[in-house]
Amino acid sequence: MAAPSMKERQVCWGARDEYWKCLDENTDDASQCKKLRSSFESSCPQQWIKYFDKRRDYLKFKEKFEAGEFQPSKTTAKS
Amino acid sequence: MLLLTRGPMAWHRLSQLKPPALPGTLRGQALHLRSWLLSRQGPAETGGQGQHQGPRLRTRLLITAVFGAGLGGFWLALRAEKERLRQQQRMEALRQAAVGQGDFCLLDHKGQARCKADFRGQWVLMYFGFTHCPDICPDELEKLVQVVQLLEAEPGLPAVQPVFITVDPERDDVTAMARYVQDFHPRLLGLTGSTEQVAQASHSYRVYYSAGPKDEDQDYIVDHSIAIYLLNPDGLFTDYYGRSRSAEQIADSVQRHMAAFRSILP
Repeated sequence: MAAPSMKERQVCWGARDEYWKCLDENTDDASQCKKLRSSFESSCPQQWIKYFDKRRDYLKFKEKFEAGEFQPSKTTAKS
Repeated sequence: MLLLTRGPMAWHRLSQLKPPALPGTLRGQALHLRSWLLSRQGPAETGGQGQHQGPRLRTRLLITAVFGAGLGGFWLALRAEKERLRQQQRMEALRQAAVGQGDFCLLDHKGQARCKADFRGQWVLMYFGFTHCPDICPDELEKLVQVVQLLEAEPGLPAVQPVFITVDPERDDVTAMARYVQDFHPRLLGLTGSTEQVAQASHSYRVYYSAGPKDEDQDYIVDHSIAIYLLNPDGLFTDYYGRSRSAEQIADSVQRHMAAFRSILP
């Protein structure tokens, strides 16, 4: 399976950006963005979809972390 | 000089006294100094009031000072010699490293064999990645190309050779590399090879890479360290740039290295 060309990459990134924009608008409610999700899935290799999903999770986590929403636990007891 | 502090009355009294009789006065001191200067060369005839040991002490001090200066000079010369030797050894070590360290032999995207020695005389910006990379490799390669273009725009600078080395030799053969590099820059050189050759090149530059699990399409992502490496015309690794550096920052840094560069190879 050949690697995506530059054009194919750009199509994939465009679909991903559309999908993520929809998620941002709908506060990560995936059910509102089903059409964009299927467009995204058809534009990108499967491995890339998994990768981008993980990347989105990471970026969201990073946002929350930088906003200070995670506090270190006060005790050393295991949760 | 202490007498001066005693006030105007004391000073008035003193000024009426005959100068030679009182060694503490200014004039007395001036006379004393003059006689010392005259008597410096040898034993004193006019040794000054009560200072018969003076000239001999002064001479001894002078000889000690000269001797000390001589020793000091000798020590400085030895230190300079040691420093020169150390520099020489360092140059020799660098010359050996320039040839042996970071050596690689790979195939370029036209099927021609290329070893590190082939790039001697050129500045090289290298990036390790793979063609199936989702976003990082294209972004970093775009950045690298931007750096090359910024440097091309500067008059009087030597041309920089951009190089892309794959960490996925299983899939990235010569054809795949040729197809990939054409999208970025006409001078971008793609390098691939056997698994061993790629392993050797990556090891030389401490590049970590690890192929992930394969999915149903037999597709996989290769996890790898992300850096752009700068090699100087002697083939020595000079600097590296991570993801946080912008194209302008990298171009600035390369220009500074170019300005400071002195070849150590014959």
